[in-house]
Amino acid sequence: MAQIEQSDNGGKKKKGAQKKIAIHVDFTPMVDMNMLLITFFMLCTTMIKSQTLQLILPTNEEVKKENQNQAKKSEAVTLILDTEYNEQSGTPVVDENGKTKHLVYYYTGIADTTFSTPDFLKLEKFVGNQNNQPQGIRAILVKRNEAVMKEYLKLKERWQKEEITKEQFDSLAKVNASDSTKTRPVVVIKPGPNTTYEGLVNALDEMQINQISRYSIEYPTHTDTILLNEFKRRNPSK
Amino acid sequence: MGKVKIKRKSTLIDMTAMSDVTVLLLTFFMLTSTFLAKEPTVVMTPSSVSEEKVPMNNLVTILVSGKDKPGNAGNPDTEGKIFISFTGDKDSTLSSEHIREMMLLEAVKIYNEQHPSAKVTLNQKQITEFTKLNMFGLPFRGMPQYLDLEQSKRDEFQGNMEDPNVGIPIDGNKDRNGRLNDFQVWMKAVYNVAQKIHNDQKESVGGDPAEIKKLENLYTALMRKGEGIAVKADKNTPYSTVQIVFDNLQTMKLNKFSLLTALKSEDEPTN
Repeated sequence: MAQIEQSDNGGKKKKGAQKKIAIHVDFTPMVDMNMLLITFFMLCTTMIKSQTLQLILPTNEEVKKENQNQAKKSEAVTLILDTEYNEQSGTPVVDENGKTKHLVYYYTGIADTTFSTPDFLKLEKFVGNQNNQPQGIRAILVKRNEAVMKEYLKLKERWQKEEITKEQFDSLAKVNASDSTKTRPVVVIKPGPNTTYEGLVNALDEMQINQISRYSIEYPTHTDTILLNEFKRRNPSK
Repeated sequence: MGKVKIKRKSTLIDMTAMSDVTVLLLTFFMLTSTFLAKEPTVVMTPSSVSEEKVPMNNLVTILVSGKDKPGNAGNPDTEGKIFISFTGDKDSTLSSEHIREMMLLEAVKIYNEQHPSAKVTLNQKQITEFTKLNMFGLPFRGMPQYLDLEQSKRDEFQGNMEDPNVGIPIDGNKDRNGRLNDFQVWMKAVYNVAQKIHNDQKESVGGDPAEIKKLENLYTALMRKGEGIAVKADKNTPYSTVQIVFDNLQTMKLNKFSLLTALKSEDEPTN
């Protein structure tokens, strides 16, 4: 291929015809150089583009007590985040897949300051879905947000059947998630002292997956700490 | 007996086809590549189900460094250092270089108002050097000396996370009108510059409300969509470290921002 063949006139040599040389170009150095360049570009590129997660925090200006919105007792869900931590090595505990173990303690309603109910604080994990069924903390949040999720799944089905476009789906889902006629939970996320950044992102993810429009990030209160310590005392194995 | 003559085959391999393939691959990589911006430290972002892409333009990235090694083996001093990078518009009038220059001048102005006894002055050469920086993280007082260094020396300085002079100073100041820390000075500069750009653009479209709504600049990204600021932190960094950045942003009234994450599916278990 690389040589340019010059046609022979049936083997008969004409007198005075020039001697024909096969022109052969060696492409090996060219290939070498190209390979080097490819290697360079491969190493320099990022194929995966990062994603972003939107976060909106409230202003930190003092809000007057009477203007504060108090969550209804029946709607409030508090999540206290924690990450399993090895005190000796000072690293988060990892499982065999190298993943950090995040824990979610939760209670509903307002904190029980008498500390008399033994199972007031419960422990769950971020497990994701199994066989298309929500598990762990997601199952609890889905149940709390049932009215919104029912409508959301209907919308999702319509989108998958291509009755509505992705944009329509997004805007309808947004309207649905903040529909005040439905009973929606108010989730308070309280990252405990050992929580890693990943733990918080996981919790924020659950809010998005479960279409929870009202949530906030707060410091754990004194009561929360006591509840947590009480829980750990009762269940030392966990 | 006649000798059996083994016909010698030419060992030449035709490389043309190979060359064609490599050139095609090369073209593909050249066209799809976006160069990795150099960052002083590597962080592993946590994964999330959010599918929103990181905007390429009009973005302020805040990098929070993690520990150099996990756990107690890592030096705790290396954690929580703040770096900032500015990316401007594709538009040549508001290119990254131009945005960086505006940010620097504004930030230095604010800093000097706050620290009349320890003013920072930069010459034109230093300002030009700054506009070429992708990411920086150092206090204002070290800025002139840093900008005088050579490129390689600068990278070396900034790559050493153990150095207490690396990283933009940040503390728990919660008063927007009080004595701002260096990070808050930068954020105030971001806010002021963004607003200035927006006002200029508003004037250039002649104050038509429909046109103003269509404007895409750093200000609209910051205020309308919350895409102007992206916080990038390691997944194993304690939340309390990242929270300092959140608190500072909140103090500066930049309540809307985004967190950089990698993609994962909804079904995937997290632990």
